[in-house]
Amino acid sequence: MRTFIASLFHRNRPGRLRPIGLPRALHPHLQPGLWEAFFAALGVPVVLSEPTTRATLERAELISETEHCLPVKLLDAHLEELGGRVDRVFVPRILSLHRGFISCPKLAALPDAVRAQFRGRFEVVTADVDENRRPLEQTLAELGRTLGFAPAESTAAARQALAAAASPAAPIADSDRRRYLLIGHPYNLADAYLADPIVRKLEELGVAVERLPAGPPRGAPATLRWDTSAHMLEALCALDPARCAGVIQLTSFNCGCDSMAGPYYRETLKAAGIPFMALTLDAHSALAGLDTRLEAFVESIAGRA
Amino acid sequence: MKPGLAIQPWGNYSLALAASVECLRVEPWTQRSTTPETLRLGVEASPEFACLSFKACTGHFIKAAQEGVRYGVMVNSRGTCRLRYYREIQQKILQERGLDLFIFGLGYDGLKPPLIRHFDPDLLPFLRCCARAQQKTLAVDALEREVWRVRAVERQPGDATRVLNECLADLDRARSVPEIRACVRTFKPRFAAVPIDATRVPLRIGLLGEATLLRDRYLNHNLEEILGGLGAEVRNFFLLGDEVRNIFRIGLFSRNSRWRLKRLARPYLENLVGGHALDSVAHALRCAQEGFDGVVHVAPAGCMPEVSVRPILRRLSQDLDLPILECSFDEHASHVGVVTRLEAFVSMLRERQEKKPRKRP
Repeated sequence: MRTFIASLFHRNRPGRLRPIGLPRALHPHLQPGLWEAFFAALGVPVVLSEPTTRATLERAELISETEHCLPVKLLDAHLEELGGRVDRVFVPRILSLHRGFISCPKLAALPDAVRAQFRGRFEVVTADVDENRRPLEQTLAELGRTLGFAPAESTAAARQALAAAASPAAPIADSDRRRYLLIGHPYNLADAYLADPIVRKLEELGVAVERLPAGPPRGAPATLRWDTSAHMLEALCALDPARCAGVIQLTSFNCGCDSMAGPYYRETLKAAGIPFMALTLDAHSALAGLDTRLEAFVESIAGRA
Repeated sequence: MKPGLAIQPWGNYSLALAASVECLRVEPWTQRSTTPETLRLGVEASPEFACLSFKACTGHFIKAAQEGVRYGVMVNSRGTCRLRYYREIQQKILQERGLDLFIFGLGYDGLKPPLIRHFDPDLLPFLRCCARAQQKTLAVDALEREVWRVRAVERQPGDATRVLNECLADLDRARSVPEIRACVRTFKPRFAAVPIDATRVPLRIGLLGEATLLRDRYLNHNLEEILGGLGAEVRNFFLLGDEVRNIFRIGLFSRNSRWRLKRLARPYLENLVGGHALDSVAHALRCAQEGFDGVVHVAPAGCMPEVSVRPILRRLSQDLDLPILECSFDEHASHVGVVTRLEAFVSMLRERQEKKPRKRP
């Protein structure tokens, strides 16, 4: 009904096809492919920021609030880079990604914080993603309308984006070798600059490694309410000690969720008898240090067997 | 012998919290502030990156358990920040160390929280007890307001604090609502008797941020007294009376109701975020409106909600020409460092005041 009334008064707003910036950090990794697909369906050109490099990291350290965790700092650097190329960027307010769960509170203040930090540089387009209040499709459709698209067009784009994002992740190749599992928040695991060196090093050491794919926690909300942490805990509970050689957690310095969820991961894996190591990343982490720790971890496990 | 019940230390409110459990026929075990020993115990036992409030509170429960206290009580938060997991992780830590202390959760747990179910007090004494606790909370609020005002202008440093401690001791002894009211009536004359220097114009500084740190003298390195000693009249925006009203959704029309704060903060922050983040932004705006000279934003290092609104506070500070000092505390914060920063901040504010006196409402 509301959509219908809105359609009566609708005028296609000029400038609705202006390109929009999307950072390659933080929120796009939480819902991979969704936002790109949505804007593509609307016909809005998407400008992605460049992948993270050492320079991004250094820039982040300079411009961002010192006490933020690494992914939020990186977001600031990515946005700054986008600011030179587009006049509006998209930063959603993520309150809850899955019904019954909540997201990290830092994401709730993000659009306001970005607006405060980069005022005058670009416009911040935002949408409230709160699955506890309304389904994602409605959120997307409303975003389309606020961007100046016709209600029917917005709804169609929302459906299309959801269908595109729902395509199942490639199944993990099954082999007889025992594997290492790399866990962490999706935005850390999906960032090639942060996670790839670790995967490469493990492969160099001759062990099979698998990244935990981003996804919704399947079960009912239990101990942990933060969605990404609950997803990790669930995956750890389902691990088979015969198939999993060890678990490596990739966490970022000052991550609030991990500081509280860490004891749960540790306890679960201790009960299952699976070795566990947490690697903390910050802007100063040196590759050599990580290499040494990974080597020691893999060797000590090889010695156990 | 009555069993002991450990209650989280929460500044001067600890005595009000202690009064609230009397009817449960338990001996409250609490402290007016964290001590170096409890903090050390907590730091040793807690996850490395947990916030300072968690570490202090955990240490408090460990100390209580070591002294033979069997029960503890901790709020059950439904919010988005780490407070939600405090109780469970603390219980786990106590169990790992072989300490026998059970922590009851309080709030959001049915009509009759487990704590009440377990001790099962009679209804009438229970209600009477609640009334006493509420009166004591309001009394502490009133006391705090007096001491902030007097401390900035006292002739003899330490007078206001001495009177505060005397008043608190009397308040602790008061056992019934009429007694508490009588005690509250003595506050004003007692503070009026403190010799003050009326020619001094105190700076006005607002304290806002995370609740435990705002209230715990040890954790915040005695911020209020340091600032008071430097001739600043502080206003601590965490008052438990307001908070309780907000939790029970009464006092919708009070100045500090959630609804009012939300409306006030809207131009800068459109969401509650969690913890006291929205309150921080709203109160900073209010400080600017009411002509405060400066604001100190207090948070444990890495506090999820407070840190995420820092860029907003910074913008607000520029827009409204309101100096904001950001103080993060962890167990390594040095007292001398804190004092130096505060002294520098106050002298900067003094200079500003001389150049351009703010208009006072």
